[in-house]
Amino acid sequence: MKERYFSTFQLILMALFAALIVVAKITLRLPIQMSGHSGVFWMAIIIVAAGVVPKPGAASVVGLTSGVIAAFLGMGNFGAINTLLSYTMVGVGADLALLLLRKPENLVVAALAGTFGHMSKFLVKWALGVLAGAPVGLVALGLAWTLVGYIIFGALGGLLGGLTLAALRRAGFFAYLAEKR
Amino acid sequence: MSQRVRVLVAIVILVALMGAVLGIEALRRLMNPAPPLAEVTLSPGDIPIYRDEQLVAGFSSADLDQLATVSFVDAEKGKLQQGWLLPDVLLLHMEADVLMPDCSIVVSSSSEGTSAKLTWVEVNNEANMVMLALTNRGTLKLVSLLEVLDMRDEWVVDADKIEIFSP
Repeated sequence: MKERYFSTFQLILMALFAALIVVAKITLRLPIQMSGHSGVFWMAIIIVAAGVVPKPGAASVVGLTSGVIAAFLGMGNFGAINTLLSYTMVGVGADLALLLLRKPENLVVAALAGTFGHMSKFLVKWALGVLAGAPVGLVALGLAWTLVGYIIFGALGGLLGGLTLAALRRAGFFAYLAEKR
Repeated sequence: MSQRVRVLVAIVILVALMGAVLGIEALRRLMNPAPPLAEVTLSPGDIPIYRDEQLVAGFSSADLDQLATVSFVDAEKGKLQQGWLLPDVLLLHMEADVLMPDCSIVVSSSSEGTSAKLTWVEVNNEANMVMLALTNRGTLKLVSLLEVLDMRDEWVVDADKIEIFSP
């Protein structure tokens, strides 16, 4: 019988990470008035997911699943398609970065993968706005500041994810997972 | 390819993406110059203000320095909404006696196809916090504590026109 790309155990883990993203998005509130600050926990979860299920596409599956859940819950301010695409692209962006950079436990790699994932979300939101004919911003630097916010918080989230992976390895979590597989 | 080269390639791609976004946005700004109408000259990004279908002014980023920033926490998600009061914006460009109590103020968004119609009494009541807040894209959204404008699907996002209609 042909072996499946993701085992049932890995699919369950990815579904749990996807649900965790949605729950974190709903419940966690950081007192920071800067665009993209939710990337701190968002990208941390994505990077941990990519480390715990170390196969290309794992982050994308987590992103897509969280996007489907979020869209059905009516999250986001710009409709279901915008929500689905932006959540999915967070995972796809992180996956593409990890294809190039590999090991998410390396803190530089984790920060960069987090930045790419979060910036992908920004790109989707911005591109959909441009396609919908959104007007040019009143404040010329408004978009640049938003972009900087997304990059900083994406990198911080990635870093947090990388640190979490390192802590999980020290705690013997990966040895435990290997037994479960 | 060594890890160092991979990281450098990733950083170059990241910078290129940032440059592309900001470049395209700058190009959009250049390619959409608003034509000068009458004595009012609008710059890209400015929000035209019409009174009885006549263009009377444009709300520009230069005006922001003259306006006080206000904020409130929205009831729907508990997020801080920060911006500039609509009455302050209007009074910056016209005399107060032009704005009679039963004047209608319509703020609309051509891209979203949404608009909100309020009276001057509602707009000018500071307790209602009718304000233009900044979006992530640097555009403006009309938000308020008023019941007709306090939820996200009621907001006028990417507002690009303000109209005043005399009774």
